[in-house]
Amino acid sequence: METTAIEWIVIVLVSAVKMGTPILFGTLGGVISERAGVINLGMEGLMLIGALTSFVVKLYTGSTILAVSAAAFVAGAATFLHALVCISMRASQIASGLALTMFGTGVSGLLGDSLTGKTVAPLMDIKLPILSSIPLIGKIFFMQDALVYFSYISVAVIWYLLFYTRIGLNIRSMGEAPEVCDSIGLSVMKYRYAAVIIGGMMVGIGGAYFPMVLTSFWVDNLTAGRGWIAVALVIFAFWHPGKAMFGAYLFGAAISLQLRLQLIDIKISPYFLAMFPFILTIIALIIATIRNNKKKIAVMPASLGEAFFRGEKH
Amino acid sequence: MIHIFFEKRLYSSGFIRIAITICAIIFALLAGGVFLYTIGVNPFSAYSNVCSQIFTNKWGIEDLLLKMSPLMLTGISVALAAKMRLWNIGADGQFYMGACAATWVALTFGGSGNSLMLLPLMFLAGVTAGALWIFIPAFFKAHFNVNDIITTLLMNYIAISLVDYFLFGSWRDPNSLNFPITALFPPAAALPMIKNINLHIGFLIGIFIILLIYFFLEKSRFGIYVNIVGNNPNAAQYSGVNKKRLIILIMMISGAIAGLAGVIELTGVHHRLQQNISLGYGYTGIIVTWLSRAHPLGVIFNAFFMAFIFVGGEIMQMSAGIPVAMIYLFQGIILFSVLGSDVFAEYKLKIKKTA
Repeated sequence: METTAIEWIVIVLVSAVKMGTPILFGTLGGVISERAGVINLGMEGLMLIGALTSFVVKLYTGSTILAVSAAAFVAGAATFLHALVCISMRASQIASGLALTMFGTGVSGLLGDSLTGKTVAPLMDIKLPILSSIPLIGKIFFMQDALVYFSYISVAVIWYLLFYTRIGLNIRSMGEAPEVCDSIGLSVMKYRYAAVIIGGMMVGIGGAYFPMVLTSFWVDNLTAGRGWIAVALVIFAFWHPGKAMFGAYLFGAAISLQLRLQLIDIKISPYFLAMFPFILTIIALIIATIRNNKKKIAVMPASLGEAFFRGEKH
Repeated sequence: MIHIFFEKRLYSSGFIRIAITICAIIFALLAGGVFLYTIGVNPFSAYSNVCSQIFTNKWGIEDLLLKMSPLMLTGISVALAAKMRLWNIGADGQFYMGACAATWVALTFGGSGNSLMLLPLMFLAGVTAGALWIFIPAFFKAHFNVNDIITTLLMNYIAISLVDYFLFGSWRDPNSLNFPITALFPPAAALPMIKNINLHIGFLIGIFIILLIYFFLEKSRFGIYVNIVGNNPNAAQYSGVNKKRLIILIMMISGAIAGLAGVIELTGVHHRLQQNISLGYGYTGIIVTWLSRAHPLGVIFNAFFMAFIFVGGEIMQMSAGIPVAMIYLFQGIILFSVLGSDVFAEYKLKIKKTA
């Protein structure tokens, strides 16, 4: 049976949401962390740590909830290293993030080596009542797996938390003017630690999405650069959870299109198609930066990347 | 209540700095040992095995210097950019593009009689390719301040796909039993060896380039500009330096050096293009830069140290079947540890009990 053009597009978009979900979790994690003023370039490593942890736990317990929680916990613990080094020990956030990526790549490659070839059962899609009967939208967004629904909730919660609560205002202030926060009695340390670690946990959940849904197996470097796409998307999304969602699905669509085009007979080499999401990321980053430069009010957190020490203004 | 806080040291010296870095590295080796222990390897016997293999065999030292060659170049490549507060995380991609362009030269002109020109042409192509591969990140960094960390890094993924495209396509050796490798290059494409030792002259080229960059930065007017822009980007505006052009130029030189590393590894070690000719040497360049605080002469020493990690990883892989990922784990831990230790050069950790 021939698939019609509409059907084909829907298939691509359904998989765009799936492909976009780990990137969305990663971007959300980056948004929380960077809003508090701390860059996390360790996302690729954290995703790998999350992916391996969830795979191991699922393999031995069979429980997805345990697997994803473990991924969040272990990724959070690894992010603690980053927080310790660049918040308490005042080191470069950039170098520390790169160290985290190396560490994550290494530790997942080392401990995951013996697990290559094993598989776990993939997570089933759940039809949401009523919502799934909306034409097109229902099929694309509401006939997905539980982790996709969790990502929707996460976007809503983080959006609300960051922009409509006192805690969120405080977190954002940490990224704009930590010295002011300090002077009114807020603990910059506590807020930044919390934001970075919660952010890292989100990234870990994004990593868990790979073995839970996308692949069902573990292989070295499973995340294949998606963590870096998430790093770029934080900027593309202007540090906003809602735009992060849009951006993640855009890139999900790019990846899904790349995979679909490989299946049908076209004359483009799969190796060129593999470059496509990365080229698109570079273009998106350039456009976003130029747009950001043109805005009168800077969107980027003003103190992003700067360590804070009390009483040491220069 | 117990208060833990940092107190600024009254004085800090180079000696304190070095001592603290050494402590950090020892700490990193111990922490790495914990991971070895979890996969059932006794870290102390593994470490002593590595040391004895390296220092009691002639090939151990040779292998160390061989691994050091690309690391010196990727190290100085990243360090040069770092002098201007630029990040070249894409040295790995430039390395691959350098190797790729050199391969194109070897496969296209290798058959012809003019073998004297083949090697220089390969070098020229590789260096040019490395420089061009960083051009897009450099241009947009200079003109629009687009994040150079992310763009240079993403170019790595594109580079690796491009290499795959050639290796799985038109460059694949028909006699390779479908392995993604090119045919062996003609002998004219091989880098000459140093006398009496199993080491190609790429090692000397590496030292030469580092000295060149050192004198360029310290003695030339151009180097002074680089230091001005690096130390105070705003002062540069007033001193009449064309900052944008300087950023592009320095990044392209940085890319060219990483491309050079790729050509040297190709012509000195592999003699054909294949996957994984870089074991993440570009990323290691970042650690080398950090450990040497972007000082060119420190790059030589720290490239040696990182080569030790690579050879150690290889020995562990051969003798105990430990995955190569061990190398990246150690690199991550070392970088973390050294980063964390930096604060102790300027500050003392104080613990105070208060009522």
